[in-house]
Amino acid sequence: MGVGDAVKNLVIRNLSKTYFDVYAGTQVTAVRDVSLNVPESEFISIVGPSGCGKSTILNMIAGFIPHSSGEILVGGKPVNGPGPDRGVVFQSFALFPWRTVLENVAFGPKMRGVGKVEREKIAHEFLALAKLSEAAGRYPNELSGGMQQRVGVARALANEPDVLLMDEPFASVDAQTRMTLQEELTRIWEAKRPTVIFITHDVAEAVFLANRVVALSKGKVLDEIEVDLPRPRVWDDLHENEQFKSLTARVLQLVRSA
Amino acid sequence: MKTFFLTIWSGYVRLTARWPSIGSIAPFIPLIAAWWIITELQIFPRVFLPGPVDVVRSFGTLVYTGILPEYLQDSMVRLVVGAFWGIVLGIPLGIFIGLSPRAHTVLWPPLLFFQAIGDIAWLPILVIWFGYGLTTMTVIIVYTVIFPVVLNTVLGVRSTSITLHRAALSLGASRARLLWEVVLPGALPNIITGLRNGLGYGWRALIATEIIVGTSGIGFLMFDARRGGSLVEVLLGMIILGILWYIVDAWILAPLERATGQRWGLVTQ
Repeated sequence: MGVGDAVKNLVIRNLSKTYFDVYAGTQVTAVRDVSLNVPESEFISIVGPSGCGKSTILNMIAGFIPHSSGEILVGGKPVNGPGPDRGVVFQSFALFPWRTVLENVAFGPKMRGVGKVEREKIAHEFLALAKLSEAAGRYPNELSGGMQQRVGVARALANEPDVLLMDEPFASVDAQTRMTLQEELTRIWEAKRPTVIFITHDVAEAVFLANRVVALSKGKVLDEIEVDLPRPRVWDDLHENEQFKSLTARVLQLVRSA
Repeated sequence: MKTFFLTIWSGYVRLTARWPSIGSIAPFIPLIAAWWIITELQIFPRVFLPGPVDVVRSFGTLVYTGILPEYLQDSMVRLVVGAFWGIVLGIPLGIFIGLSPRAHTVLWPPLLFFQAIGDIAWLPILVIWFGYGLTTMTVIIVYTVIFPVVLNTVLGVRSTSITLHRAALSLGASRARLLWEVVLPGALPNIITGLRNGLGYGWRALIATEIIVGTSGIGFLMFDARRGGSLVEVLLGMIILGILWYIVDAWILAPLERATGQRWGLVTQ
């Protein structure tokens, strides 16, 4: 299924972003010569401190901002503006306040021209996956932050994108809810196996979720670390897991030393 | 003593919660009573301040002769026609200015300039251009309604988060769908606020215009009565203006506001 029949992978070659800072009056390089290869059904985390350029990379992949040089290929096709082949989950949720939860999730299929009955069936399916079935008829502002972001994830997935882009999606919910959402996300990922780019500044979160962690600093890739922790992953197991601890320590050291 | 008043107050709150129309009418009872007492005491001569009974009697006569229903209809039709064009022109213009930074740069200063020229200030020139009639009145009302609608629509469009635009685009919305699915609903609470203000100003402008150039309508009724030296109809006209606006605002505009922005959590309740 999905939007195209192309391979759902992401290739980034020598991506850079420079812009002119009108206040400083100088040219600023936000992203410097980044190359990444994300095969279909891989979950990668890009981790780094604030201002390291990770959100800029995601915004370029999403097509929200143009890149200065290099190439972004999704399913072999170059990115040119936003499109439904790349689903986005936002830190601020970005749900449509005037649409119910069900209508939010059905929005992507609606834009594709899927009929009302069919798209509501799809929406119900993804709401069930996100354990939100009972909230279908409610408006976003009636939900907690954690529930709103589940809707955000369900909405992006219901459109069956080639690549799922997540921009610090759990940064604005409380710590307990965040852990639950992280576990839910790994469960959903195992069920649907989408290709995911997950942006975060939280090293433990990056390691917990991903197959591979990309450490970023000052717009440059420092290193890529394979994470071969067993799945399903739950915090109760991983808290005391030596491998998890050493991986986290390694990434943390990388990010902090740069 | 304090508990006694609180008991009465709580009884009143519960009563109005059950029958909201009582809540709309009850606050006017002391006002009317005071008016009635003052006129009965003859503090001012009757000619200067007629009482409620005279006004009600005059209401009966004017309804019976058919003058009041006709004038009322004339005023309402003028307001509706003016409001219609104000909305039809104002909302697209507001969306255009709100979406395009260039249009905003170019159009915003003249918009504020023309807004400052009050509606009535246009009357002398409009009378020369269009004469005494419906055209002049419609132009005045459209002019009055359009500014609050445009300014609030611009505000609404600009205050809708760019993230919502991005969300819609990355879910496959075209630019045209974006307008309908995000820009318009995002601006809707502000548009309704603009409409509420615009119609309020428009209503006042209409009466003023009818007083000056009208040959019928509530404003004309009041001015014509003054010419005849009868303050009864003037007071009647004033009361009708208040009641009509109350109905439009409380029964149409306020519920509209509750059903949109407040429901969606875009405005605080």
